[in-house]
Amino acid sequence: METRITQLLGIEYPIFQGGMAWVAEHNLAAAVSNAGGLGIIAAANAPTEVVRNEIRKTKEMTDKPFGVNVMLLSANAEEVAQMVIDEGVPVVTTGAGDPSKYMAKWKANGIKVIPVVASTALAKMMERAGADAVIAEGCEAGGHIGELTTMTLIPQVVDSVSIPVIAAGGIGDSRGVVAAFALGADAIQVGTRFIVAKECVVHQNYKHKVIKAKDIDTDVTGRTTGHPVRSLKNKLTRQFLKLEREFASAEKLEALGAGSLRNAVVDGDMHYGSVMAGQIAGLVNKEQTCKEIIEDLFAGVEEVKKFSKIAW
Amino acid sequence: MNFDKLKEIIVEELGVEEDEVTLEASFADDLGADSLDLFELVMSIEDTFGVTIPNEELVNIKTVKSALDYIEANS
Repeated sequence: METRITQLLGIEYPIFQGGMAWVAEHNLAAAVSNAGGLGIIAAANAPTEVVRNEIRKTKEMTDKPFGVNVMLLSANAEEVAQMVIDEGVPVVTTGAGDPSKYMAKWKANGIKVIPVVASTALAKMMERAGADAVIAEGCEAGGHIGELTTMTLIPQVVDSVSIPVIAAGGIGDSRGVVAAFALGADAIQVGTRFIVAKECVVHQNYKHKVIKAKDIDTDVTGRTTGHPVRSLKNKLTRQFLKLEREFASAEKLEALGAGSLRNAVVDGDMHYGSVMAGQIAGLVNKEQTCKEIIEDLFAGVEEVKKFSKIAW
Repeated sequence: MNFDKLKEIIVEELGVEEDEVTLEASFADDLGADSLDLFELVMSIEDTFGVTIPNEELVNIKTVKSALDYIEANS
């Protein structure tokens, strides 16, 4: 299907795979791109050379467009911002801040820049700065989240900018895809459902926990630090929330969280690892290839009217 | 005159009391504005005073006085 985003980026399906730290590496990104979506490598807090390596490995596995998500709070964000130019990355998404200072040189090098935003104010700011599109992510999403839901955020962001809007947060099947388009989006971004892709290299425990999750199985920790994170409930989240209720210091909370995502993704620690996932995890219930996931998401689009309970 | 108009905008956008809006007041520290509040404020200033404040300039506008100075220099 053609939308402003498929045309802008030269991809077959209007779908991005979310830049999930530790999860979104070359295997997943290449598989998504080969399946017709936009695979994205998460730079997160990784050293520049690690990200460079992921980019090069992705290019070995696919000649289709892919992107890199630059996490602006990373200590080496500046270096990564230059490195994506040097490595000829075609699309950059950004998170955790304002990428205005890199916009000019990215655009000068022909890169499509698509910041993740959680408010209309930031969306407008990004349009003014020259962004090609924005990803509006609702708080249903896993990982670091904003305040608004996808349902309320998307139409307001769509109304506030004229550049394309990619909807993210809570999309797990064709109903979510159609809903996103109904709200005015030109494309979707999906995270949680790609965690259980066959090509995704997360620990099997992580995939299993996502598959077994019910709707109410996520919690948001870190509201008191100003950096709320959504993940599947476990001993870590319970401990974290208890500390927050006791007004624990930022340092204490930081110490509890340090390395926890890696522990979950790489080591499969489901008790004290941070098992980041979105509220749609309850709907995600089987491991499939990226190709199967993408085709499933879009195959049902025509059929969605049959799912709804009203007579159109 | 410009200061009065600016004060009005700040009170409206940031929900603070008029007497909190002194020239020395820092948007972040004294008036509780985060970067997005500041951006909305800037949009309002642009509409009211007919100036344009590029994104890169935002880092320099930390106090009420710096906002007023920018307006006076550019309108």
